[in-house]
Amino acid sequence: MMILRSLMREPMHGYALVQHIKQRSNELLQVEEGSLYPALQRLLREGLLKAEWETSATNRRVRTYRITPAGKKHLEREMSSFERMLEGINLVLSPLES
Amino acid sequence: MTWIQQLFTRRKIFSDLSEEIQQHLEEKTEALMAEGMSRQEAVRAAKREFGNVTRMQERGREAWMWPLAESLWADAKFAVRQLYKNLGFALTAILTLALGIGATTAIFSLVNTVLLRPLPFPEQSRLMWLAQQDHSLPGVAPEALSYPDYFDWRAQNHTFIGLASYTGGGITLESGGETQRLDAEEVSANFFQVLGVSPILGRDFRWEDEKPGNRTIMLSYSLWKSNFSSEKDIAGKTIRMDGHSYTVAGVMPKGFQFPLENPAPALWKSIADDAEGKDPQTSQRGFDCLEVIGRLRAEVTVEQAKSDLSLIAGNLARQYPDNNKQYSSALVESELQHITGDTRPALRLLFGAVTLVLLIVCANVAGLLLARGSRRSSEFALRAAIGASRAAILRQLLVESVILSLCGGAAGVALAYGLVHESVKLMPLNIPRIQDASIDGSVLMFDLAVSLATGLLFGVLPAWRMSRSAPAQALRDGSRGVAGGRGQNRIHSGLVIAQTAIGLVLLVGSGLLIRSFVRILNVDPGFDPKNVLTARMRVPPDGLSHDHNIQFYQQLLARISSFPGVLSASAGWPAPMSQSSATGSFGIEGRPVAKGDEPSESLGLAMPGYFETMRIPLLAGRTFGEQDGLKGAPSVIVNQAFANKYFPGENPLGKRIRPGVGDDVFEHPVREIVGVVGDIKRKGLTAGEEPQYFLPYAQAVITNPYLVVRTSGDPLLIQSAIRAAVREMDKSVPVYQVATLEDYISKSTAQPRFQTFLLTGFASIALILAAVGLYGLLSYMVVQRTLEIGLRMALGAQRADVLSMIVRRGFALSLFGVGAGVAISAFITRLLSGMLFGIPPTDPATFAATTVLLLLVGIVASCVPAYRAARMDPMTTLRDQ
Repeated sequence: MMILRSLMREPMHGYALVQHIKQRSNELLQVEEGSLYPALQRLLREGLLKAEWETSATNRRVRTYRITPAGKKHLEREMSSFERMLEGINLVLSPLES
Repeated sequence: MTWIQQLFTRRKIFSDLSEEIQQHLEEKTEALMAEGMSRQEAVRAAKREFGNVTRMQERGREAWMWPLAESLWADAKFAVRQLYKNLGFALTAILTLALGIGATTAIFSLVNTVLLRPLPFPEQSRLMWLAQQDHSLPGVAPEALSYPDYFDWRAQNHTFIGLASYTGGGITLESGGETQRLDAEEVSANFFQVLGVSPILGRDFRWEDEKPGNRTIMLSYSLWKSNFSSEKDIAGKTIRMDGHSYTVAGVMPKGFQFPLENPAPALWKSIADDAEGKDPQTSQRGFDCLEVIGRLRAEVTVEQAKSDLSLIAGNLARQYPDNNKQYSSALVESELQHITGDTRPALRLLFGAVTLVLLIVCANVAGLLLARGSRRSSEFALRAAIGASRAAILRQLLVESVILSLCGGAAGVALAYGLVHESVKLMPLNIPRIQDASIDGSVLMFDLAVSLATGLLFGVLPAWRMSRSAPAQALRDGSRGVAGGRGQNRIHSGLVIAQTAIGLVLLVGSGLLIRSFVRILNVDPGFDPKNVLTARMRVPPDGLSHDHNIQFYQQLLARISSFPGVLSASAGWPAPMSQSSATGSFGIEGRPVAKGDEPSESLGLAMPGYFETMRIPLLAGRTFGEQDGLKGAPSVIVNQAFANKYFPGENPLGKRIRPGVGDDVFEHPVREIVGVVGDIKRKGLTAGEEPQYFLPYAQAVITNPYLVVRTSGDPLLIQSAIRAAVREMDKSVPVYQVATLEDYISKSTAQPRFQTFLLTGFASIALILAAVGLYGLLSYMVVQRTLEIGLRMALGAQRADVLSMIVRRGFALSLFGVGAGVAISAFITRLLSGMLFGIPPTDPATFAATTVLLLLVGIVASCVPAYRAARMDPMTTLRDQ
C-alpha cells in the first residue's frame, strides 16, 4: 500500500522508492532494502504496476515503476478499508468516558 | 497475461529482476561513497542494508511461480541427479522396492479380479444366490432346490423381480456322423432375463420352452463360432443332440458366461427335457438338483428377501414333510459374495503376507537411506548452514525417497505383469474368475498409491533423522568416521530387528503351510492313484436298452484289458475327487423309521473288478462279480465307515438295506450286504471318513460310469487306443473327461499347493531381505567404526576378537528380531488354523526350525562384514583417519 501510495505521486525506480519511503517515514520503518523487490514483483504480477527501462536523471539505466488504473482503484479500496480499520482501532483505544 | 505466456516471458522477467537489483546496489554504493566511504566499505554496507540478495531474488521470482509445485520439481530434478551420481545405491533400492511393490501389485490384481471386480451383469449387486437351509445338519448347510420347490418359490415370493434356476450337465452334439461332448446348463426360461443379458441373435427363451416337447437351446458365442461358423440365420434351426431335436433360440453375446465356473458352458437348454416322461423330474419334490439365482426388487434388502423366502420354505416343509421337513428356511446371499466366499480367506492371507514383505522392503530401504544419509550428513549440514530451512531439507529427502519408490513402482508393474501372467497358469482352476486376472487401471492406481505410500513410509524416518542433525556438529564430524550418532544406530538396529521379526512371521507361516501340505500329500487316499487312467463315455440312454448298455461296457472292458500294458480295467462311479457325487436315502431291514427320516449316505456304482483295479482293500465278504448282474440277487457293498455307523459291533455281512435309487429294471429292491471295503477319500485328501455304499452297475444303470484302467506305464499313453476301441464299437459314443487319478488328486490339492507355493516365495524374499538388511547394517557399522577397530587392534586385540565382536552384534540383533517374531507369530498363526491340516498353528517343530534357520542366516550375514573388519590393517586404518 505504501508502494502504491508513493507511486501515485510520481513514477519511480526501485532505489528511489526505498529512499522515498525511508524519508517519508522519518527512518521509522527499518526494513531490508531488498525486501522491496519481491513486493514489487507481486504487484507487477497482479497488474497493479507496470515497469519500463528508462534512463534516469543521473544517466543511469533504471527500471521505472508506474501505477496502473487497476492499481489506483486497488489503492483507493485499500485506503478506505485501512482508514476504517484505523478508525475502529482509535475508537477502541480512545480514553474511556466516565 | 495467461500462464503459458508467463512461462515464456519469465526468463526475461527474472533477468530484469537481477539486473535491477544489481543497479540498486550500485546506486546505493555510489551514494554511500559520496558520503565519504571507501568503495569496499560502501559495497559491504549496501549489501548489508539490502539483505540476502539471492534470497530476495528467489522471493521475487516466486511471485511468478507456483511455489510448491515448482520447488518440488526442482527438488525432483536434484534428486534424480543425486541418485544418478550414486547409481549402485539407487539400483539396489529400486530393485528391492520393485520386488516388494511388484509382488504386492500382483497379489492385488488377483484380489481385484477375484474378489472386488463386480460381476459382468447389469446392476449385479441385486443378483442373489438362493438355497434352502438343511436343518438336519449343524451350521449353514445350503441344499439345492427341486423343481416343484423352485416353481413355488418363483410364484409365491414378493421380493424378487425374477428367480431363475440352472443345473449343470453334459450333452452330446451330433453332426456329420461325429459326436462331441459339450458342457451344457439346463436353465429356466427367465434365466437370461434375470441376469439382464439378451441374445445378440434370435430370441430369448419363452415360458413355453419349459413345457414338454419344446426342447430349445441357446448357443454360446464360442460354440456358435466354432461349430456353426457364425451362421447369421442359425436361430430357428434344429440341431440333433442326445438323440433329440433341439430348436436354436439364439446366440448369447461374446464373453457371456454363467455360471462363472470352469469350463464355461457351451450352450444352455430349456428345462423341457426334464419335464418329459411318465414321472418327470419337474414334478419330483425330492430331487434336489437346482441352483437358483434371483434379482432383488428395488429397495428390498437381503434380510427382507430371506424372510420372504423362508416363509414360503416353512409352508412347503409343513405341506410336504416327506421331502421338505428339514428345509424350513431359505438362505440368501449376494451372488458375488457367494462365488468369492471360499477364496476370500486364502486371498486375504496372501495379501497379508505380501504386505509384510512390503514392510520388510520399506525397513530395508530405510536402512539403506540411513546409511547413505550419514555419508551425506555434511552435505545437509552445509545446506542448513547456508540457510535451508529444516522443512526444505525434509522435503528434499522425501522427494528423493518418493522418486526411488516411484521408480520401484514402475519396475514393480513390469514384475507384476510377468508374475500374474506366469502364475495364472499355476493357479487352481476352481477359483472363479482367476483366469481373467490382469493388470488394469485400478491395479495401476493401486501400484501408484502403494509406491507413494512406501516412499513416504521408508523415507520419513531417515529424513526426520537427518533434518535434525545440528549443522555445526555434523560439519565438524563430517569426514571423520568415529562418532556415528548413537541415536542413528539405534534406529537402524531397530529397523533390522523389525525386518527379522516380520521375516520370522512369514517363515513360520510358510513353514506351517509346507508341513501341512506335506501331510496332505502323505494322506492315504484309500486307493492307489498311480498309473490309472479314467474316462467317461456317453452311451445314448435311448439308443441301447439296459442290457445292451451293460454289454457295451463289458465288451469294451474286455477289449481294453487285452491291450498291452494294461494291468486291469473296470468302471465305477464316481471317480474319487471328481466333481461327481450323489447321496441316496435307504431303509435298513428291521429298523422302520418314518418317511422323511430315512438315513442318506454317499452312493457309488461299481462293475466287477472296480475295487481290485482301484486297489481299494476288501475287508470282509466279497467284491462284485458276474453273479451281481441282471439275473443275480440284488446286492450292495458298504465301506468301513458305513459298517461302523450303522452296524457297530455287528457283522454287516448278510444284513439287508433298501436304497431308494434304482433303474427301470431294479426299481428299489432290498439288497444284501455282500462285502465291506476300505474307506476312500472321496471329496479330497483332507476330507474325513464318510460312509458310502456301492451298488453293482448292472443293477443300477443310473449314470455313465468312469472307466478306470490301471497300466504298467504312463496311463495317458493308452488314451488313443481307448478312444479308437470305443469308436470301433459305436461311432456315436463320445469319450470325455479323460484324466488320470493323479490329475484328480493334484486338482484337489491345487489350492493348498498354490497358497504354500506363494507364501513360501514371500518367505524366501523376506529371508533374503532380512539377511541383506543385517548385512548392510553391520557393513556400515564396520566402516563407521574403522578407527575404533584399528585402535583396538593396535592395542593388541586379536583378529578373532574383532570377528566375534561384529558377529556377536549381528547375532544379538537377530536374536532380538527372532524373539519378537516368535511372539508375534504365536498370535498371528491362529489366523491360519483354518488352512492347516493335521498340525496346530503353534506347531513347536515349525517354530524351532524357522527360528534356527533365521539365526543361521543372521550369522552368515554377519560373518562377511566381520571378516572384512578382522582383515583390516591397523596401521593403514589409523593413517587414513
